[in-house]
Amino acid sequence: MPRKWTGLNLASTSLFFVTLSACLLQVVFTSNMFGVTVKNSGMTGTGTTAGPTKRTHSPMVTGTSVLGVKYNGGVMLAADTLASYGSLARFKDVTRLNAVGDYTILGAGGEFSDFQAIQEILEKMDQEDKNADDGFSHSPAELFNYLRAIFYSKRNKFNPLWNEVLVGGFKDGKAFLGHLDMIGTAFSDEVMATGFGSYLALPIMRKRWHANMTEGEARALLEDCMRVLFYRWGPREGGREGGRKGEGGRLEGAKQPRTQKVELYF
Amino acid sequence: MTTHMKAQQSVPVPSIWSTEGAARLGSGATVTTSHDDGSIDHGVTQAPYERRFSPYDFNGGTCLAIAGKDFAVVAGDTRLSTGYEILSRNVPKLCKLTSKTVLASAGCLTDVRTLQQVLDMRLRMYEHDNGKEISTPAVAQLLGNTLYYRRFFPYYAFNVLAGVDDEGKGCVFSYDAVGSHERVEYSASGSGQAFVIPVMDNIVGFKNRQDPKPEYTAADIVAICKDAFLTAGERDIYTGDAVTISVITAAGVTTETFELKRD
Repeated sequence: MPRKWTGLNLASTSLFFVTLSACLLQVVFTSNMFGVTVKNSGMTGTGTTAGPTKRTHSPMVTGTSVLGVKYNGGVMLAADTLASYGSLARFKDVTRLNAVGDYTILGAGGEFSDFQAIQEILEKMDQEDKNADDGFSHSPAELFNYLRAIFYSKRNKFNPLWNEVLVGGFKDGKAFLGHLDMIGTAFSDEVMATGFGSYLALPIMRKRWHANMTEGEARALLEDCMRVLFYRWGPREGGREGGRKGEGGRLEGAKQPRTQKVELYF
Repeated sequence: MTTHMKAQQSVPVPSIWSTEGAARLGSGATVTTSHDDGSIDHGVTQAPYERRFSPYDFNGGTCLAIAGKDFAVVAGDTRLSTGYEILSRNVPKLCKLTSKTVLASAGCLTDVRTLQQVLDMRLRMYEHDNGKEISTPAVAQLLGNTLYYRRFFPYYAFNVLAGVDDEGKGCVFSYDAVGSHERVEYSASGSGQAFVIPVMDNIVGFKNRQDPKPEYTAADIVAICKDAFLTAGERDIYTGDAVTISVITAAGVTTETFELKRD
């Protein structure tokens, strides 16, 4: 006897009906002697009365590109330290890279508050690992898939986390580098970039990447790409890099992710 | 100032920031009128628009499948794009569902991956419930139902399902985004669909030809697939980089990769 299906889609469908009814009632035109006024329900859950929009429809404080490269023995990410408020360089010394768990680093462009929300979510997951105290810590690929599921579920509710995220890591001798988009488009590759870096830096990275790059070569590649972004793309400030090393690398005994702030002067 | 607009009924909101918005806005929703006080209304008060987030993205790519006498061949390119950008050259579109069925999907990658995960879960449940592996026509029906389940917020996935049925014959099913499906001899979906289907109509369907149709072997069909992707890759910007081609027989699934132009 077939089991009743209670999988993913059931929840998605019922959520959509809530969304659908909210959309239909979104804008109502009323006509009176003073002209047409627009009543915007703002896609709230009830969808019947005017009110502020409670979904993300545009990012406010944003970060720009994050670059990532896999090298022999690890993964390296680079990002600048600026969070902009439109065209204003609002916060000049933020960390857009973060280390999670024992094996993973992530960096995000897009809405900075959503990136902070992602950090909290992954921090909770890491804390559960620590609480279990059984020696297991989630691998980068697992964290990546978990984050992808969160992004997809939020996009289904039309309330996305407005970020483009790079997740990198190194566990059990295997490097991982994945890219995640705000609707949940997830894929992995050897070199990656988010935001404007995908236009300016990614072609350089694709051309210069080769298997068995050393850490120094990877670092030089990322610095060169950051320099190009500095010259050609407005929002930037300083620079910061996060490195994930495999065991037996140049930094003896450094098993934790190493994050280093670098002042880049061009 | 009293101004009374003619349009009393509610007008659908044209959202110009989403992909469907631009088309809707062009369908005459705005009217330029002048008021008594001399100001000109460019139609914004009648049809205000807002930016809206679009949950879909078109990631491009082409998939095709051809059924033979006792085999089926399914192929998909490996390029992932968004807009005019290539996100990756190495994201295969094929997904092996069972030892006798392969699904190829083009469209929006995030929906494709979710659809594959949902199917994977359902197929495992089927095996536990029924004690056997699911047959290809049953997977075809399941996929159709799964897509229709999201009829009002569709999976943006254009699928082609291929495999061998219980009698050992090759079968191919083609789908639209909401689950309408049909068993066919050959099918293609995705951005290069219009370039590939005419080629297959001629060479596999032998349409509008009087000469006798040969009995193709699996190797012949694989060669036809390669030609079809070379054709599509030449003119479709979203198709290229490489193709993964799987041949499904009663013995199992074998896969090969064929390089295409990277431009």
